[in-house]
Amino acid sequence: MIVFLLRRLVALAPTLLGITLVAFAILNILPDDPGATWGGAAPSAETLQRLQTEMGPGRPAPERYWTWLGALLRGDLGHSVRDGRPVATILFESLPFTLLLNLGAVCLIYGFAIPFGLYSALAPGSVVDRLGGVVLVALYALPSFAAALLLQEIFAVRLGLLPLQGVSRGSGGGIPAITDLLRHLVLPTACLALSGWAFVARYARASFRSAMGQEFLRVARSKGLSRGRAARHLIASAAVPLVTLVTVILPGLVGGSVIVEQAFSWPGLGRLYLAALEARDYPVVLALTLLSAIAVLLGQVGAELLYMFVDPKLRQRLLSGSSGA
Amino acid sequence: MRPRIVGARPHAGTALAAVLVLLGALGCARSGEAPASRPHGTPAPGGRFVFPLLIEPMTLNFVTGTDLPSSYVTRLVGDSLVDHDARWNPVPRLAEGWEWTDGGRVLTFRLRSGVRFHDGAPLTSADVLFTYERAIDPKTRAVGRVEAFLLVDRVEAPDARTVRVVYKRPFAPALQGWEMPILPRHRYEKEDPGGSSLDRAPIGSGPFKFASWQSARRIVLTANTDYWGGRPWLDTLVFEIIPSQDTALQALLAGEVDYARLTPVQWQAHAGEASFERRFEGLRYTPPFMYFIVWRGDGSNPFFADPRVRLAMTLALDRQGYVRSVLRGLGEVRSSPFRASALGEAGELAPIPYDPARAADLLDQAGWRVDGGGGVRERHGIPFRFTLLIYGMSEDHLQFSQVAQEGLRRLGIVMEIARLDWPTLLTRMRKGTFEAALTGNLPSPDPDAFYGQLHSSQIVSGQNYAGFRDLQVDAWLDDGRSTLDPAKRREIYHRIDAVLGERQPYTFLFSPAVQAAVSRRVGNVSAGPSGIIDQYPGPAAFYIVGGDR
Repeated sequence: MIVFLLRRLVALAPTLLGITLVAFAILNILPDDPGATWGGAAPSAETLQRLQTEMGPGRPAPERYWTWLGALLRGDLGHSVRDGRPVATILFESLPFTLLLNLGAVCLIYGFAIPFGLYSALAPGSVVDRLGGVVLVALYALPSFAAALLLQEIFAVRLGLLPLQGVSRGSGGGIPAITDLLRHLVLPTACLALSGWAFVARYARASFRSAMGQEFLRVARSKGLSRGRAARHLIASAAVPLVTLVTVILPGLVGGSVIVEQAFSWPGLGRLYLAALEARDYPVVLALTLLSAIAVLLGQVGAELLYMFVDPKLRQRLLSGSSGA
Repeated sequence: MRPRIVGARPHAGTALAAVLVLLGALGCARSGEAPASRPHGTPAPGGRFVFPLLIEPMTLNFVTGTDLPSSYVTRLVGDSLVDHDARWNPVPRLAEGWEWTDGGRVLTFRLRSGVRFHDGAPLTSADVLFTYERAIDPKTRAVGRVEAFLLVDRVEAPDARTVRVVYKRPFAPALQGWEMPILPRHRYEKEDPGGSSLDRAPIGSGPFKFASWQSARRIVLTANTDYWGGRPWLDTLVFEIIPSQDTALQALLAGEVDYARLTPVQWQAHAGEASFERRFEGLRYTPPFMYFIVWRGDGSNPFFADPRVRLAMTLALDRQGYVRSVLRGLGEVRSSPFRASALGEAGELAPIPYDPARAADLLDQAGWRVDGGGGVRERHGIPFRFTLLIYGMSEDHLQFSQVAQEGLRRLGIVMEIARLDWPTLLTRMRKGTFEAALTGNLPSPDPDAFYGQLHSSQIVSGQNYAGFRDLQVDAWLDDGRSTLDPAKRREIYHRIDAVLGERQPYTFLFSPAVQAAVSRRVGNVSAGPSGIIDQYPGPAAFYIVGGDR
């Protein structure tokens, strides 16, 4: 098991190296005018002349890449051009908020979609199945920014039930702070989950349907197995495709969370990415690109581990070395 | 201790403040805008005011933090020698007064006595000298400050309360440079000028003390109860970072913030709504920000070296129609880079109208005629087809360029639109690799602010992207810079304006107005040309009607 994991992780290294190279190259194609990156201000000839001595002549791109890579291997991500702080500090400020938001969304999506999918699979053509399907497709079609405004209008402005934006009211700690954070989490999580619901619920329904068609269930039911116990077997057999789905929707969620983070003033990585791109804050952009690449690659390894956990047959095959995925 | 409102204290300053407030009210009434000052209820100490920031400040260093969001915070935590009021008149702050001597070459400030930093240390001329030295130190990279000090020969501190600035030659806009908050030397002298931890937790001598900065969330300030001008009414001032303008408005409606900007469409939807009017008051102001088109007129393209063509372009663009219909009246058409106040009442030129017929005449005269098929104007076989660079993220850029494209098409001119990001646009303008570019500028109200766009010394690596070269204008610009007498200055800029009206190196377009709403629970809020924060006393005079929420 450990050997399997190590082998997988080592195999990631060349991919990662390639990603750093591509990201660095793309950023270097963009015009690199330090004067242009300073808050959009356009200084005069004299001002630039005065500052040029300090900035020094630009070094060639391969040399800069080499320096950056060397620092990266030592764990140094550099400093932000925008506010001068270490990139790692900035990243770790935002990372927990993005994790919280996305984890919340995945829980919300699955917590709703699995029971719904199961119910509509057991009772196809019922009112819940049909009406639910229509509503979910409508939600799927609703753009995130519009959904955000709608949720804010209803739950914060009109009903005054939930906070509208941000992650906290005050700056205190303890239980009240956690409750406050969770209250702030509700609307952005719901907004992020909206589009996932339809997708996962339909997928779950289809998985359950196809699992239901399997011989062993029909036999078991005809021999008098109760509905509830049959459902347990059904879930176990439909779990593999549903688990895979997490790795499919997670990158989408992270991508979609840029809009949600912006709309709810959520201080996560998506907002950081946008702000860094606008300010041409290359060290932050590079670090974020790298981070998301690592997340996707680790997601794949994680999915394989999950397969092994839910499917004994797959576990045998993967551990015996004939890597399939 | 009963709090006092800064700038309206019961002594000699009161009369001045009253006059200024009156002037403010008159000025706004004249332009048909919302009243500038809205005193109501009884001032009471306490409460908090929450202001949304669309963009997070880069730094709270007083010297390098010259971007707008940074300056919103630093101007309250720090104290500058001088400042401007809601009408953009210079007002004393740390300096009790100032004096010009030696034919305008020497500017002497007399500092207030008894001013202390938030850590209790006294503020003296040595701190002012230190702050100046930091600003001009190349290691500090204070792009936004260096400009104002280029003509400074030396700064001296003959005693603890006197600061003497010697300029190489008289410099009329000199005071603006000293709207720079003063750093405490004893805290900063051991810090790296390129960046320090104090840049995120500043100490100043201003009406508010820095309390906390939670990245991407909020910056909190608390009242400086020992402020030399009396403690501010507010206990707390919060800058809530809300990157979406839609969200900021929703937050205003939900009571999470006390101020928000509205788009013309949002304003139309809410204005007149009884529940909205009951809770919020509309404020409208026109910042000095202005859009203009740069015509690259140095002969690198076959179109815009001819002033007749450039004037034709201005006449062919329906700026008035754009402000009326697209901006729904929320904006002012501009025909000059100078504000009316800089030219004097008599000096204002007639605005350049929308006149496509005259534009067609001028183009014919310049040799650009519609002869062949296709309806496109040509000269010596070259079709009139050019590309306008715009900043692709701006609604104003997109919408105006589309309106312009249609207007020019009717005149037989093909204009392509290239949407760029801001650094790319700026780089192309700097290198001169463009035919026309739509850009904007946030000049100070001083007419000297356009020196960079107009003086020929600024063509090669400055902001004169048009490549405009006129030796007479150069001489006037230099005169305008060194003339202290306001009447003479107005005359100089009036002459420059007349030349620009004919030569049109730039087509000045419009200044969008800002429509904002502020909660009625806040008193003493007034909107100057740059909003409710960027003025003195500004938030130091806000109060919450009926105390805390």
